[in-house]
Amino acid sequence: MKTLKRRFVGAVLLALGAVFAAGAAWAATPKDVLVVGVSSDPSTLDPAVTIDNFDMREIFPVYDRLVQYKVVNGLGTTAVEPMAAESWFASQDGLTWTFKLKPGITFSDQTPLDADAVKYSIDRMMAIKMGPAGNFDSLDSVTVIDPLTVRFNLKHPFAPFLQVLATNGGSIVNPKTAKKAKGDDLAQGWLAQNMDGSGPYRLKEWLLGERLVLEARPGYWGPAPALKQIIIRIMREPSDRRLALEKGDIDITESILVDQLPQLEKNPAVRIGRYDGQFVEYVYLNNTRAPLNDKRVRQALSYAVDYRGLIDHVLQGYGAQMRGPVPSGMWGHNPKAFQYKRDVAKAKELLKEAGYGNGLTLTLIYSERRATWEQIATLLQSNFAEIGVDLKLEMMANPALRDRVANKNYELCLGAWSPDFGDPYMFANLWFDSQYGGMPGNRSYYSNPEVDQKLRRAAEAGDADERLKLYTEVQDTVIEEAPYIYLYQLKAIVPMRKEVEGFVFNPLLESMYNFATMRKR
Amino acid sequence: MSLMEFVFRRLAAMIPVVIGVTLCMFLISHAIAGDPAIMIAGPRASAETLETIRRTHGLDQPLYKQYFRYLSDISRGYLGESIRNRRPVLQDLKVFFPATLELTLASMLFCLLLGLPLGVLAAVRRNRLADHLTRLFSVIGVSTPVFWLGLMLLLLFYRHLDILPGSGRISVQFAAPSAVTGLYLVDALLDGDLGLFRDAARHILLPAFCLSYVYLAIITRIVRSSLIDSLEQDYIVTARANGLPEWRVVGLHAFKNSLIPTITIVGLSFGELLGGAILTETIFNWPGMGKYVVDSANYLDYPAIMAVALVSSLAYVLLNLLVDVFYALVNPQIRY
Repeated sequence: MKTLKRRFVGAVLLALGAVFAAGAAWAATPKDVLVVGVSSDPSTLDPAVTIDNFDMREIFPVYDRLVQYKVVNGLGTTAVEPMAAESWFASQDGLTWTFKLKPGITFSDQTPLDADAVKYSIDRMMAIKMGPAGNFDSLDSVTVIDPLTVRFNLKHPFAPFLQVLATNGGSIVNPKTAKKAKGDDLAQGWLAQNMDGSGPYRLKEWLLGERLVLEARPGYWGPAPALKQIIIRIMREPSDRRLALEKGDIDITESILVDQLPQLEKNPAVRIGRYDGQFVEYVYLNNTRAPLNDKRVRQALSYAVDYRGLIDHVLQGYGAQMRGPVPSGMWGHNPKAFQYKRDVAKAKELLKEAGYGNGLTLTLIYSERRATWEQIATLLQSNFAEIGVDLKLEMMANPALRDRVANKNYELCLGAWSPDFGDPYMFANLWFDSQYGGMPGNRSYYSNPEVDQKLRRAAEAGDADERLKLYTEVQDTVIEEAPYIYLYQLKAIVPMRKEVEGFVFNPLLESMYNFATMRKR
Repeated sequence: MSLMEFVFRRLAAMIPVVIGVTLCMFLISHAIAGDPAIMIAGPRASAETLETIRRTHGLDQPLYKQYFRYLSDISRGYLGESIRNRRPVLQDLKVFFPATLELTLASMLFCLLLGLPLGVLAAVRRNRLADHLTRLFSVIGVSTPVFWLGLMLLLLFYRHLDILPGSGRISVQFAAPSAVTGLYLVDALLDGDLGLFRDAARHILLPAFCLSYVYLAIITRIVRSSLIDSLEQDYIVTARANGLPEWRVVGLHAFKNSLIPTITIVGLSFGELLGGAILTETIFNWPGMGKYVVDSANYLDYPAIMAVALVSSLAYVLLNLLVDVFYALVNPQIRY
């Protein structure tokens, strides 16, 4: 009896010892493996379906597009350069774009990336009609001219068309994936969980909720990447990601809370990259509703906000006040444009002129989508109180909020926006053209026929100078008429281990990485 | 009524329970404002696209039709396709449910291996140091917020002492075991991969303890008080008077009779935990049902939400049944 008991205790101790003994863990991740800590699984890997950067993070390294964003002096720009395309030209009237493809690009099964592959991918994306197709409104059809020449026929001239081809909707998928279709799903079921592209990486495994692994793809047409394996670790909790980064279990982490940065910065093994992003946050003012249909009231609200305090205290300095809709870093941004500054006296005067000298009550809706919004809403409430506006706050789930905005059923609403492609179209046409009223972009339901006309001309004009002039004029108008309160554009923060080199930040590709040209020291 | 008959009756009674649960869940989740079609297609999708999505997912049908279609689907074992990621919901559950089950089993093991002896110790050494310490331990357990405890455990064992791995189910350099049961510990053993087993065991220690602590504390207290009750019964006095050794008095006679409330608590906690522990799963990055249901709720992914509700209510009902059966096994006086 006694020996049995002893043996049992011994076995338990031995088992515990074996479990606790350290050893198997990596001291640091190997040199050719990059581990990125992210907050959630991609929802789909299908480039024709998603417009979410968290999905594109995996999609972009696997698929080629005709063009890609140019890197200048180690910084990503919004200009494009050839990727799978060798050259291109647009017709005089801007209605056709013809691309010559690089020869010799193949998918993993040796299927060539040719004009048929391009046509298959674009046609498929257009047929699926999800988010990515939204950027291709102007596209009418794709024609195969010869194996290495493909032509895009537009319904009307669309100046940023080249930019659009650099978005994930322009990703070129192996045409053989058509065989994976189930019924009429256009292989959406298969491509949501698998990838088949001609890029530097391919999908090795995806353990839902745990990790997704990309590996360097043999036979890639470009230079072989230094990082042979990319492990995307799904780590929901920011403090967990921070711990793992400091310990060296991961090399890069995304979405760290700003209040954790000072502490993190003290760690000599970690470098915090700060970049000028184009992610903006702003307040939609429902222009169809009294009293917000009165320009003076909207201006008064714009004057009431303490922009400085907001950026310094809520964002801890990681942001800059917007100067009109087009953010700095995007061409078309006007550094001389008018900018609202906090001016309580002026705001009160404007309200009085508009007949609200005795104050008024408004309601701001916002969701839990961004951690800072609660604080921002409270700050706006106290700012507005000073000019006699009683701001009621109403927080709700994001789907409910979208519903309210889509149905014009709100007064003020906190919102965020980031561009899909590098053109002021993303901030000007979508925000102010009355044809995009509601969730598509013009969320304050602003309507000004003159602005509509100018914006439509700017979208079609081939001449860059003319476009710039039109966008500058429009911006002056919409700053003056204040259909939104332009708050700030955020700085992007990318904490990584010091040994990671070659990361290129691109404001259009936030939360995404140029794995193929990164390396570790 | 024999035990078998009792079990069958209870199983049959589950059908209305399940229908009730699905109906409630269905109504609640559809009462939330918000259009899943917009969540799928993105805010800039055209009205035409939204219409297509509503049609393909049957969202344009009247609610009662959607519900009946759902009932007929689940009766055929089809849980629908996720609105969010287009995967069959069943496929997702096959990944997330075993993770939660494994964590729950491990934390129940903690509860029993620590909770029972501690409870017994406290009862036997009533009002002495061991009892006070045990009570302190359980008061801390009941009153410590899980997210705080989890973070502290990580800080201590992962960051400072460096003897346990961080979050997740296995380290990144290990490939997942072949998916036989979905329980990594079991699958690793089936694969004969001891290194992986060890890694998985090291990963599950902290979250399992964290998850178990509250229940552990409750179980300790329940065992203590019911054992104290039993120890005051006449038959114990008789047993002692007959000169039985103390360990037999406590271990066999008193303990067995104090088990009924303990089984109740263990069973109910087990059922509760199978629905997924959102906080623990989040902090330790455990890919279980809790995480899954939160993600699904954010997208108004009805099929996924419904499936989680269905599975966790089924688990709850089944465990209740199991508890009743155990009563009979422990106490032969209980008959159905």
